[in-house]
Amino acid sequence: MNKQSKFSPAPLLSISKMLKQREQGGISFELEVPNFSLQRGQFVAIVGASGCGKSTLLDILALVLRPDQCQEFYIYVADNKVNLKRLWNQKEESRLAEIRRNLFGYVLQTGGLLPFLTVKKNIYLPIRIKGSGYSDEKIVQLAQRMGVAELLSKKPQFLSGGQRQRVAILRAMTHQPEIILADEPTAAVDKENAHIIVQNFHKLAKEIGTTIVMVTHNHDLVAELADTTFTFKVTRESKTLTRSVCFEATA
Amino acid sequence: MTSQQQKSRGTVLNLALFDLFHEWILTLCLVLAIAAVIAPILLLLGLKYGTIATLRDRLVQDPVYREIRPTQTYEYKKQWFTDFAERNDIAFLTPTILPAASIITVKILNSQKTEIFDLIPTGMGDPLILENGGQIPKGNQCVMTKMAAEEIGVAVGDNLSVRVTRNRGGRQEFATAELEIVSILNPRAGILERIYTPLNFVVDVENYKEGMAIPTRNWTGGSPRPYLSFDGIIAVLPQKLDLIAKGNLRINTGVNEVELLANQAFAQITGFNLPTHLVSYHLHNANNIVQASSYRAVKRKLRGKKAIIIPYVKASTFRQSKKEISVFGLSLSPKHLQTLGLSELPWGALKNKPSYQKIGQLLLPNNIEKLETVIETSFAGIKGTLTFPLRIQGKSPSQYALVPIELLATLRTGLQREIIFDDNQQTFLLARGGYGGFRLYAKTIDDVQPIYTALKQQNLEISAKVDAIERIRILDRGLTRIFWLVAIVGIIGGIAALIASLYAAVERKKRDLSIMRLLGLSRYQVFRFPIYQALAMAILSIGAAISAYFTLSLVINLVFSNDLEMGQKICYLPASHLVIATLLTVSVAFISALLAAWKTTQIDPAEALREE
Repeated sequence: MNKQSKFSPAPLLSISKMLKQREQGGISFELEVPNFSLQRGQFVAIVGASGCGKSTLLDILALVLRPDQCQEFYIYVADNKVNLKRLWNQKEESRLAEIRRNLFGYVLQTGGLLPFLTVKKNIYLPIRIKGSGYSDEKIVQLAQRMGVAELLSKKPQFLSGGQRQRVAILRAMTHQPEIILADEPTAAVDKENAHIIVQNFHKLAKEIGTTIVMVTHNHDLVAELADTTFTFKVTRESKTLTRSVCFEATA
Repeated sequence: MTSQQQKSRGTVLNLALFDLFHEWILTLCLVLAIAAVIAPILLLLGLKYGTIATLRDRLVQDPVYREIRPTQTYEYKKQWFTDFAERNDIAFLTPTILPAASIITVKILNSQKTEIFDLIPTGMGDPLILENGGQIPKGNQCVMTKMAAEEIGVAVGDNLSVRVTRNRGGRQEFATAELEIVSILNPRAGILERIYTPLNFVVDVENYKEGMAIPTRNWTGGSPRPYLSFDGIIAVLPQKLDLIAKGNLRINTGVNEVELLANQAFAQITGFNLPTHLVSYHLHNANNIVQASSYRAVKRKLRGKKAIIIPYVKASTFRQSKKEISVFGLSLSPKHLQTLGLSELPWGALKNKPSYQKIGQLLLPNNIEKLETVIETSFAGIKGTLTFPLRIQGKSPSQYALVPIELLATLRTGLQREIIFDDNQQTFLLARGGYGGFRLYAKTIDDVQPIYTALKQQNLEISAKVDAIERIRILDRGLTRIFWLVAIVGIIGGIAALIASLYAAVERKKRDLSIMRLLGLSRYQVFRFPIYQALAMAILSIGAAISAYFTLSLVINLVFSNDLEMGQKICYLPASHLVIATLLTVSVAFISALLAAWKTTQIDPAEALREE
């Protein structure tokens, strides 16, 4: 675990006593999160085997899935504490969307790039949606660092898996979000590329002070970089119910 | 909308357009598919509009199709023209004269060649003149048809000598006038040899042909003097009539009532007392006026009975300034006046056709002061005001003012027929009773039928090109139905294609849309995504359809150009129709996109994460 973060710990997101149930084909899955918190600048890994609930947790963190029960669910914006539980309860979807576009960056398994936009336009998209500005020069600099500068005018279908992921990382960072949620960003690339991608990701994120939550089933990939690692304890309660409890691995 | 949303305005539109551009082959296919629906509809509408417009144009351009003509001679009163002209669907209405009176002989000044032409009245707004290259003639100006001008060999600016002939008392007479040609009409105005002049000239020609003088044109002849009419006759006799004589007065005299008149009643009518040795009888017609012929018949019947025949007009009043003067008409010979104990009258006995010099006299009763020698007087009872001068000649022997009975009998006629006082001729004249026909043009061909119906309801025999107009209307209705049938099927097909395509596109782009939602676009923002795409495709489609329509209409019009006149098109749509088609297409596209738009709002941003 890397403990060399140059950012002082400050609360960014906290969840307590959260429960989410999902049902598919008559089989229920229950995710319980007793405590979950993110500090500014942290590199947080969510590690677990398939079906343990790491993607469900990521959906909840990404504000696209509503928890069924929750004692606390806060995000700290500047000096304000935003009660996400209340926003969900009041179905304030526009407010949640606004938080998503302003505070979150996303890196999906295969990049999640829009196929009809060029790499450059994809990178710019969160900036445009947020309505903030960013210089071309800085984008090019970042693209050079990520090794995708010469791909800026290309469409995503002409990129390799690794290139797409690097572009996706760039896109997730350019609008300077507080949190970047990365869902198995290295799933579609080979092991060597995966290490390079994660290292680049970690380095860039640390430079801009962004908290990174990375979901992966590969503990080795993040073991050296993660400030905090959350994992799951899965219990099969019955034939139709599986329960998973999320906890901090070091705890 | 938050400030950030305002800043990001245009993002969804850009994304929608980039997506369309990215899938340009699919977009092109859909645009062409929609254009393939719209273009034939536009072309069909253009053909329908152009065909009907051309046919209508031919009717509308030619005023003949807007003309409604009387087919029978009938006397149309002035009031009829005044009333009918108030309809707002009438472009032009003028009286015409009897066809037989409208023939005139025309020759060029200083030339011997003469032709006989038909004289037609015209006036301001006459579409036959104005829409056939002519200008409305004024005063002594005229307009000729092409045939007439060619026949006599004249051009605009030439002067014509017009000869009007008549036969009066077995004697051939003629009058001449000079007319300046201000226009020669297009051949379309008619193949007949006609001269169009202002109505007053045409009426003067008719009056002259009827034997009248037209002083303003120095055309000699008679005057339409009003006949004399009376309310009754008082026969004054030295003794009572026996029953046979009394009954005889009812035979062939025009009177059907003969009754002995009490002295008091006599005085009330005449304003003076009947000498006691005389008796009087009141002769009148209970149902009709008493005419001068009755007066003469009664006079003949009572010949040898020392009768004094006093035709009278009852309860007459003249107005002068604010005064009303009761007047009695009396024209008797000095001998009869002496018998009645009255002093001599300046105008003497009754004459059938007296001059105004004789009848324009007045004797005032003693109770009215003599004001002036000549007073302007109007006769109560006549419609409007009829003003004429009267010379005051002295004191009346009656309690009423006395005037010649011919004056009152003339004015009495004015209660039945319009009479005028002609200052130039210093005489009363019968005003024109009516006109033999009319020239009427509807404002549009659509107005012909209602006017035609209105005239028919007045039992007038008329003709109009209603059948030709109706044929166009039937064709228009038929083509409209066909157009709508095709258009509705086409529009439904277009809507179905658009709905299906947009819905399928949303299904196909579910992942992309969920990523957009994940990146922070709200439901409302992604709702606009397919709508923008539909609107963009609608604009492209209508643009393509209009281009195709213009190309095809150009070809069609070129093919039919030999059958069309200058400026006419068999396939044509006004700009307003194209604007409406554009708005309609955009609206239909918007409505068609709503289902797809609703579908986008159902996309869960979590799907972006899961579909990975």
